[in-house]
Formats: sequence, C-alpha cells, structure tokens
Amino acid sequence: MFLSSGYRGIGDSGRSSQSSPVGVSRRGFLAASAAGVGANLVADMSAINGLRSAAMASELKRQDKRVILLWLAGGASQFETWDPKPGTKTGGPFRAIPTNVSGIRISELLPGLAERMQHTAIIRSLNTKIADHGTAAALMECGRRDDPGIRYPDIGAVVARELGRLESKVPDYVSLYTSTEGRRKGTSGFLGSRYAPMFLSESMTPANILRSDSITDIDHRDRAALREAMAKRFVAQSKSHSVDSQMSAYQRVHGLMASADLFDVEHEPADVRARYGPTQFGEQCLIARRLVEAGVPFVKVARAWWDSHGQNFETHRELCADLDHCMSALLDDLEQRGLLENTLVITLGEFGRTPSINASLGRDHFANAWSCSLSGAGVRGGVAYGETDAEGQTVVDGEANAGDLFATILAALGIDHEHEYMLGARPIPLSDFGSRPIEAVLG
Amino acid sequence: MPTDLEPSSPEPVATAPLPTQVVVDATYSLPGIAFCCAAGEPPTTIYAGLSDFAIHRIDTAAEKPQPIRLGEASHDSYVTGLVRAGDRLISGGYDGALIWWNAADGEQLRRIETAHDKWIRGLAITPDATRLVSVADDMRTKVWDVATGEQIADWGDHEVKTPQGYPSMLYAVALSSDGQWLATGDKTGEVLVREFSGAAGSIVARLQTPVMYTWDPRARNHSIGGIRSLAFSNDGQSLAIGGMGKVNNIDHLEGPSRLEIFDWQAGVKLHEIEDTQFKGLVEALRFAPDDRWLIAAGGDHSGFVSIYEVGEGKLLAQSKTGSHVHDISLAPDATSLVTVGHQQATKVLL
Amino acid sequence: MRFPTCLAFSVWLFSAIASAEELLPIDSDVAEVIDHYVDERLERYEIEPTPPADAATYLRRAALDLAGRIPTTAEYAWAEELPESERREAIVEHLMSLADFDFHLRNSLDELLLSNRPHDGEFREYLLWAVRSGRSWDQIFRDLLLARPAEGPERGAAQFVRSRVRNLDDLTNDTAMLLFGVNIACAKCHDHPLVDQWQQDHYFGMQAFFSRTFATRKNVLTERPFGEVKFKNTAGEEKVAAFTFLSGVSVEDQTIDFADDERKRLEEQLRKLERDEKAGYVLFPDFSPRRELVDVALRDEEYRYFAKNIVNRTWERLMGLGLVDPPDQMHDGNLPSHPELLEWLAEHLVANRYDLRGLIRGIVMSDAYSRSSRLVTEERPPSPTTFARALTRPLTPRQLATSLLVVARGPAEFPAAERQPDIGWARFRNDLENQAGGWVREFERPTENFQVSVDEALFFSNSDRVQNDLLRDSGGSLVGRLLAIDDDRELLRQLWIRVLGREPLDDEVSTGLAWLSRDATERSDAIRSLAWAVITGPEARFNH
Repeated sequence: MFLSSGYRGIGDSGRSSQSSPVGVSRRGFLAASAAGVGANLVADMSAINGLRSAAMASELKRQDKRVILLWLAGGASQFETWDPKPGTKTGGPFRAIPTNVSGIRISELLPGLAERMQHTAIIRSLNTKIADHGTAAALMECGRRDDPGIRYPDIGAVVARELGRLESKVPDYVSLYTSTEGRRKGTSGFLGSRYAPMFLSESMTPANILRSDSITDIDHRDRAALREAMAKRFVAQSKSHSVDSQMSAYQRVHGLMASADLFDVEHEPADVRARYGPTQFGEQCLIARRLVEAGVPFVKVARAWWDSHGQNFETHRELCADLDHCMSALLDDLEQRGLLENTLVITLGEFGRTPSINASLGRDHFANAWSCSLSGAGVRGGVAYGETDAEGQTVVDGEANAGDLFATILAALGIDHEHEYMLGARPIPLSDFGSRPIEAVLG
Repeated sequence: MPTDLEPSSPEPVATAPLPTQVVVDATYSLPGIAFCCAAGEPPTTIYAGLSDFAIHRIDTAAEKPQPIRLGEASHDSYVTGLVRAGDRLISGGYDGALIWWNAADGEQLRRIETAHDKWIRGLAITPDATRLVSVADDMRTKVWDVATGEQIADWGDHEVKTPQGYPSMLYAVALSSDGQWLATGDKTGEVLVREFSGAAGSIVARLQTPVMYTWDPRARNHSIGGIRSLAFSNDGQSLAIGGMGKVNNIDHLEGPSRLEIFDWQAGVKLHEIEDTQFKGLVEALRFAPDDRWLIAAGGDHSGFVSIYEVGEGKLLAQSKTGSHVHDISLAPDATSLVTVGHQQATKVLL
Repeated sequence: MRFPTCLAFSVWLFSAIASAEELLPIDSDVAEVIDHYVDERLERYEIEPTPPADAATYLRRAALDLAGRIPTTAEYAWAEELPESERREAIVEHLMSLADFDFHLRNSLDELLLSNRPHDGEFREYLLWAVRSGRSWDQIFRDLLLARPAEGPERGAAQFVRSRVRNLDDLTNDTAMLLFGVNIACAKCHDHPLVDQWQQDHYFGMQAFFSRTFATRKNVLTERPFGEVKFKNTAGEEKVAAFTFLSGVSVEDQTIDFADDERKRLEEQLRKLERDEKAGYVLFPDFSPRRELVDVALRDEEYRYFAKNIVNRTWERLMGLGLVDPPDQMHDGNLPSHPELLEWLAEHLVANRYDLRGLIRGIVMSDAYSRSSRLVTEERPPSPTTFARALTRPLTPRQLATSLLVVARGPAEFPAAERQPDIGWARFRNDLENQAGGWVREFERPTENFQVSVDEALFFSNSDRVQNDLLRDSGGSLVGRLLAIDDDRELLRQLWIRVLGREPLDDEVSTGLAWLSRDATERSDAIRSLAWAVITGPEARFNH
C-alpha cells in the first residue's frame, strides 16, 4: 500500500548533504516510514534480541502461541475451586462434583468448568510460602523472589519478549486491572519498556491510542514520516540500542492505533457478548479473546478481589459464579475458533486460603498448599496433578514452587525455561534457578 | 438464624421492668461452628446444628454441659436451620436436604434429599407446629406439611440475581406468632411479607432495606451483607430486620451491625439502629414477650448480644460473647438466652 | 541455589591495586587526573578516541548534566561567541552558578536515594536545602541516617529511613547498595561458595545496625534500647549478629543491660509508642546502632566504601557508565575499569571534605567527558568501558520534562551569563521546576538496557497535553514565535536552535523548506507538525 516515491532522496540526503526534494508530495513523506528506516530498525532490534538464535525464534513464533492469564487477585480459595475437601473440618459447606474426566472432582461452585475438564490441568500442590499480598503477587508474577539490584520481568513480559513479533502491529502484552484493590500494573523489569504491558485500568480504551481531532489522519502519518526521516542520521551515528528503541516505539504507533477496535466489545455480535454475560469480567474475557485472536501474545485479566477474610463462602459464591461462567464461555469460544490449541488459559493468584475457617466465616492468606489451573495450549487436559493432605494443610505429593510453575508455563508454550538472559555479566535463566517444568501436565 | 419456635406468652406482662444488663454467665465449647439452634423440652436443653453436618444436644442445666451428638444420621453439609415440632426436630442444610429427627434418640424419621436445589439458609415453623417454611439460595420459599413431609407451596418472587448479575441469596425467614404472616429477606435487602394463613401466600408487603447490601463496584468488585435475620413482634405489628450497614472494606465484617424496625403494614420505618462498637452482622432477633424490647445478636470475629427498647429504639444493654453468634434461643421467661456460634455456645443472663 | 546472580563482595577496596604513593598527587587538577588515567588506558590498548564534541554539543550536554535542561537560545548565542580556549570553563562556571544546578543536583540525589519509594515533599525540600547550603556528602549521609522528624531543616532527610522502616531487608540492602555500592542481599540465605564463612555474618551484621529502628505511631523514627538479630547459619546453628560493617570491622555493643522489671517497663512503653497515637513521648536510647554505623563508615579505612560509591555513581551519572558497573557490585569479582582513577577520585573527595561540586566540575571539565558521541564510520564502537567516546544517554524524566518546557515557553533573553545572579531567570526556573513535576510521570526512569516505551510514543503522538501545551500557537509559545517569522530559513534555524541547540544542516534545511512549502496545508499546521517531528526525534530525547 505504500508508494515508493521520490522520498527516498531525503533519507539518503542525510549522508550526501544533497538537497532538494522540493515538490515531494504528502504521500511521499508517508512512504518513508515503511520503506526506509523501518527495515533497518527491524534488523537492529533483532540484534538486541540476539540472545536467541534467529532461526529458533522464528520457529517458535510460527507456532503462534498465546496466553490469557486470569489473575484471581487477592487469592482465591483452593477449597472452593480446584481442591475441594468436602466433609472435613476444613472443607467448608460446598460439595465436590464429578467432572467430565473420571476421577477428578472440583468444587460445586464451578459446574461449567467441571464440564470442560478435558482442556484443563489442575495443579493442587503449589507451596509458595509467602502469604502477604504485595510480596506474594510479585513472586507469582515474576516466578521468583526479588533480588535487590535486579528487576525481574513478569511472566507477561517474558512471554511478550519470547513470542512477540518485533514488527507486530498489535500490543504484545496487555494487562487489564479495573478494580483498585491490589491493582498492579505488571513489570517488564530488566527486559525494558519495550515489553512493558499496555495497562488498562479506568477505561477499556488504551491511553492515547486515538488520534486527536485537531490533526488529520494524513497529517498525523506525514509528520511521523518526517520525524523518521530526520532522525536517520542521528540513529545511524549513535549506534545505541536505547536510541533504536525510541525509533521502534514510534514505528509501532500507527499499528497500535489501528488496534483500538480490539478493545471495543461493541464489535462483537450480540449472541457472542451474551455468552460471556453482563459482568465486567465477562466483557474483559471477551476483550482478551479478541486480542489473542488478533495476535497479542499475552493478555492478563485481573478479577479482583478474592481476599475473603470474612464471608469466604458468600464471596466465593459470587466470584466463582463469575469465574465459572466467563472462563467457560472463553474456553468454548477459543475452541470454536480453533484458538484453544494455541492459547494457554491460566488461573492463578498470589496465594490460596487457609484451611481453617475463622469466626467471620472467612479464610485468611495461605501459600503452603494451594492450586492453580492451566488449560489449552501445550497442556495435557483432564489431569489433576499433586495432592494435599485430607484437610488441605500441606502438600503431600508433587510439591511445586513459583519457579516450577513458570517453567511449566514456558514449557507449555514451547519456550526453553533454562535459556539465559545476560544482564551485564549475570546470566539469568527464564525461570528461577533450579526450577523444573511439571511434565505430567504438559501435552 | 431465625427459628421462630418458642410459643409466645399469651398474656404479655406490661409491668415487667426493662432489662438493664446483658451478662455472659457461662461459655461452652462446641465441636464446630453452630449456625442454628432450637430449645428442647425442658427449654434448658438446646439443640444446635453444626458445621460437622450433625445436630448436637447441650443440657445447659447440667453442672458441666457437654455437647452430645444426636443420632447417627447427618446432613451432607453445614446444618443451617433447625426447628422443634413437639418431640421432633427438623433440620435443613447447605445440602438442600430436610431431615426429621426424633429429638429424644436422634433417630432419622424422614429425609427429603432435595428439598431445595441450593443451600437452605433458614427454617421457620408455625406455632401449632403443622407447617414448616424453608428458604434457600435457589431463591424459593417452600412450605411443608410437618406431619407428612409433603410440599404444600413453592414461591419464587425474590430476584434470582443481584442487580449486578451475580447469584442472590435468600437468608432469612420468620413467621408471626399467630402464624398469619410470613416474612422472607434476601441478600439485596428486599423483604417480602406474605399472608401465610391457609398458605395462600399472596404478597402483602415489600420492604426495602438497601443499606444492608454493600456492593463495591470499584475497589473489590463484589458484595457483602444481606438480610440475615427477621422477627415479627408478638402483636404482629412490627417487623425487625437485621444485617450490617455499609462496609468500606468488604474483605471483613467490619461494618456497623444494623437493625431496622418497620410498621410493615403501613410500610413505615420506625427505627434504623447502627452500632459501630459491636460490629458485624445481626444474625438473630427476638422480641420480648411484651414487645417492649428486643434482642439482637451476631458479630464479626467476636460476637455480641444487645437489647434495645422498642419504642425509642434505644440501647438498653449489651455484651460481647466471645466469638460470632449465629443464632439464639430465648428462655420462655425472657430472663436468659443461649447463643450458639463459632466453636462455642454461651448462656447469657438479662 | 541462587548464587549465580549473587557475586561475592569482599575486600578489593582495601587491596593494594595502587598504593597511595603511586597515585598522582592528591592536589592535582581533577580533570587532568581523569584524562591522565583514561588516556593511559587508551594508549595502552591503542584505541583512538573520538574527537572533541563541537561547541553546541558540549553546551547541550553540560547544560543537561549541570542544569538539568537543554540550553536556552540566549545561552546558545552566548556560548557561540566564546573563544575556544575559554569555552569549556566559561560554560561550566556559568551553569554551576545558576539556580538550575542546585535543582538538578537535588533531583539527581533524590532519584538515587528514594527512586521508587513513597515520597514526601519534605525529602526534596531537605535535599534542596542541603545542596544550596553547601552541605557535604558525609553530612548528608549523617542526615539521611540520623535525622529525626522533629528537628530543623534536616528533618526531611528522615524519609530515607522512614520509607524503608517497615522492611528491615530493604533498609539494610538499600543502605548497602546506595551508600556503599555493595549488594549484600545474596549473603542472606547462604555464604558464597567460594568465599569464607563471614559472608552471612556480614549481612546480618549490617542488619544489626538497623534492627532496632522503628517508627512510632506518629511516624517518629527512633530505636529500641535493646534487641538483637539472630540468624541460622548454613550449618543450622543459631547465631547472634554483632554490629559488623562491610569491611568486617565490628562495633562494640554498648547496650545497657536493664534489670528485668525495668526492661519490662521499657517494652511496655515501646509497645505503646508503636501503637498509640496519643503516646506523648519518644524514647531515644543513648546507644544508637545507626549512629555507630555512620561513625564506623566514615572512619579509618572504612570510609572508602562510602567515598568510592558516590564517586562511582557521580561518574555513572555524568559519563553514562560507572567505573564499576553495575554500581552496586563493587567487589573483587567485578573490578573497576580504571582502578587508580577511582582510588584517586575517592581520596581527593575525602581530602576536599566530600565536596560533590568539585568532583562534578572536574568530570565535566575533562576531555573524556567532552568527546563526541558520534561514530561516522561503520566500525564497531569502542568498548564503553574505555570512555573513548561519549555515551548517548536517555534523559531522565525530569530532564526531559524540564527541557520540553524550555522548548515550549523558554524566553530568548535569559539566563544571561554576564548578569549573575539573574533574578528573572531564577524565578522562571523555579516555575519550570514546579511545572515539570506534572510531566515527569509520563516518562520512564532510565535503567539498565533502557528502552523507550510505546506508551511514550503514543503519548507524544496523541495526547492532548502535547497538542495543547507543547504545540499551542499563542504568542510566547514555540509555535507562536515561529509563526511570526516569515523567512522559512530563519524559522528553521530558530526551531533547531531552540529544540536541539544547534544550527540545522543543509539537508535538514532542504527537508524543512520542502515541508513548509507543501500544498494544501495551513502554515500553522505545517509548522506545528515540523516542530513535533523535531521535538520527538531521538536527538531531543537523548543526551549525546
């Protein structure tokens, strides 16, 4: 669609000090952004990404893997979701129901997901030890504990970097967190801002994604092309990755602006919207599907706030109903579109909840024996991995920590979890030192 | 849990002095969380339904009262409603089942496995012990023949979903002492009053108590609260409604305990009473035999028993009771009561 | 096993890389010493440095580093007229004499000390007061660790400790990293496999200095009169940590041994202090471990940690890369690129009573600082650790914000170098400092491997703020002034000088003329778009 015009003369003139492309049309300016500088920068960016061999990277990306992380913020109860203990002192009032996979029972609060267990692997044996919100959330987002002086990237940034396309016209990490309690943006850590999430909180329209009325579309594109052309010499002479990153950030602007519609569920047929239901979480799950369908590698949808210190059972009746309905709709929709085999849907929070039930009929923070789930891409569905004791106090089989879960997620996506980033002289593997994928849940 | 079973004194003693104190006289530990209770015969014998799915009997007149499990049978979930009909007990649970028991030996006399599709939240029984009413989270109000176990009526009318699209809950039920009126209260703060005599069930009043329901759209995106207790005055004129006021942090039961009293037939709210000292849910309400005062009990982590003068809505006395109170049983002479709740029961003197 | 990210810290700071006698005389000129040691290595490795940056580039770089903003058009015009032999010195003297210098040094210290932590205005006020009143770095250090909220102008300094007081690990690690250049966190869980047992003792030894620190309910910082740090070593034995500095030197424990009932009474008072808003007293024990830490860190041989850290961090800020990199990894597994230089600068700083101004002036006056950052050939760039060329550095959020405001509304007439102090400018600059606060959060703080985010590109491309504030065409604004110029060449010249601090090159003029003469576009729109393209270009985004 871009015209190859006389504009190229301007780009070259930086070196030759020749002049004058007088009469260059407005279209001419437009042409430059794709034809000239852009191509150079893609090459430069792959130098930044040179840690992985180009062949391997493209092989991975051909598989088109995606992730939707349903972040159960505040900490959902494993008893009321994936690891029910009915009839025990700690089990609470709810029953366990059979699923469509024989031998696996989950809480009666998740009847829809019970009918879709063939897609899902449950991990019932997380022991992540940390039970305060902030530290635990950081641990479960980044898969390891913080080391002073090192800012670790979270799982979204790692996946964005490993699976994102440099030339992508859509964002490669989108994070939705509308509630204010426990709101966390996510972090790309040492991977840098290129992999930072596009963060949506107050509004489902990303900030600054729509063109101001005070400038026409053609002028908007033309001035970007002018900027690009005039920057060329400085970029070439700087030989700096940071400088290159500024250029590539601007090159992504128009692609992202074109993706604004992805965030608008009005573009979905009424029957599809109806299936996801009227809740905010349902709408955001639908946005997540639109995004992965368009090629966004990582979408995080936070559903807050599960921190049921009082009225745990009432809270879970509400929130599990939301989770069950929306995630069921999401899995069905992904499957019908042929996306589920390439899309990994995760439920995870910062921790689970105590076996003991307090006097306010609440459950408190608990990280020693809790659950999460993986569905879809790379996962062996219909598996319940790991085991807690009869009252859910401790893990008795298959204990896994945050690093192991990360290794598992990466493995499900076909990413080598032992691959190392070099941070200066420090080698840092994608998932924490000594972590291992849980093979039993991998397809 | 409201279990309106003590037959009220037929002749209110108008001259009886108002109580001036609430004193916890004794505390008994329970092997679980008690959600409901009913007085036996003699009334010092208390039956309680627990989180261990069973019924326990406590003889509060004994020197060292010990809870004793009643019979072999049990629910498949928490026992959340319990009433007495003569020498029988009837219980309901989160399993949706109703069980008839022999109060003396605990024999299971009848079991209706699927009385409701969801969790039974409370039971009430007519003064003549012929009709049983159950409410549950399927948002149905059902009437049962106590003698035969036959279902006589099944009413909907409470909204199944909250305005935000989440499952609602039907927590509270009460019958007037003459058996003429039935009140049911749900999570969002709506009370329906029906004409119950003859089980026609036509709705004669709708009362709204929206403060009882806290929806937090912004910080936490879910809700807390609901109507947790109901009681008619003995003259049938007033209806007391218990729950919790607006809560800032809905992770905890840290809102003010809240009580509203209506002249329900006129649709006039007589009192709104909030207590920010003793916080949490008002789980149980009883009018005194002369209707001049009432008892409100409940709690957050800890429990409370408060007594209010009805005419002015004034607090007369109150006390902490240790842990959260889920239900009470008032002695026929209204000088003492037993609370049951989180891992414990207490005897309270007024 | 986590040790691959944890490198040993130990004793090179004391090892004889270069004994004091071998160093250049301590009263030598700082810039000359820098060039001596940097050039020595360039010669040894036969690396040809880039030529000196031109006058305009040097002015812009120095203005950003000393004044925290780009030069104004008045400064540009003034500097162009300076004779080459005096230029560098005149520019540095001018910039360091401005109110800007104090603001920028304050902002730099603020970013170092309290980067992402909860902030209060008081901390920034304190730093500005400290910088303006010529407080030395060791005095600032004392203020940071010892200030109490109720006292004098130093009270704002307490936020350094207060913002970390609820997390003992943070307090210990951040003090070690930010003030001593040593990251000891790795020694918490295990000893380094290659170094002696003392490592774990070390971590907890440092922690012991802070373990008694707490904030009362009214947020007053104080210390308990007793309490110890216990830890289980890798052998599983429980040990009590001595008050031990990073060098291994321990401080005598002068804790008063209270009788049981006295201790009980004190504990009760302390509990009340922590919980009760109405507690009408504060206890300050005679023996203050934090004060002991300050004393030990500044004495004998121990001061070198403290001195080298600030030298290295100042060097990193001005040169783009520390002599030790990363700056929190000063240990024998990570030697400095120029050990003698670091040693000399640290000794010089101490000899000059920790005066940061002298250090900063020396660095920006050096040839090493003044080189061109451009590579005109296709050759591979020289290793950055040789400082053979100036490194291109992203502007900090504050540098960028303040520079954008200078572009948008900087008047042409000041600051005037010949009119000091320039009261008009000082007032204007104070406003800029305040206004910049509103823009700062739009930009990311530079870190290792810094990349510009697409959020920033979207912000510049589409936000109302850029369109309305930066590109408006009212009288004194950038676009307004350009609109008043009829001669397109002069317009381009003004735009380039104002935004980039230099004259446009021929091809840029050609492009600009072509742009302005395009058909079917309002002139004001054409100028606005052109200004946008220059302002958002990489040359304006980086210090080069």
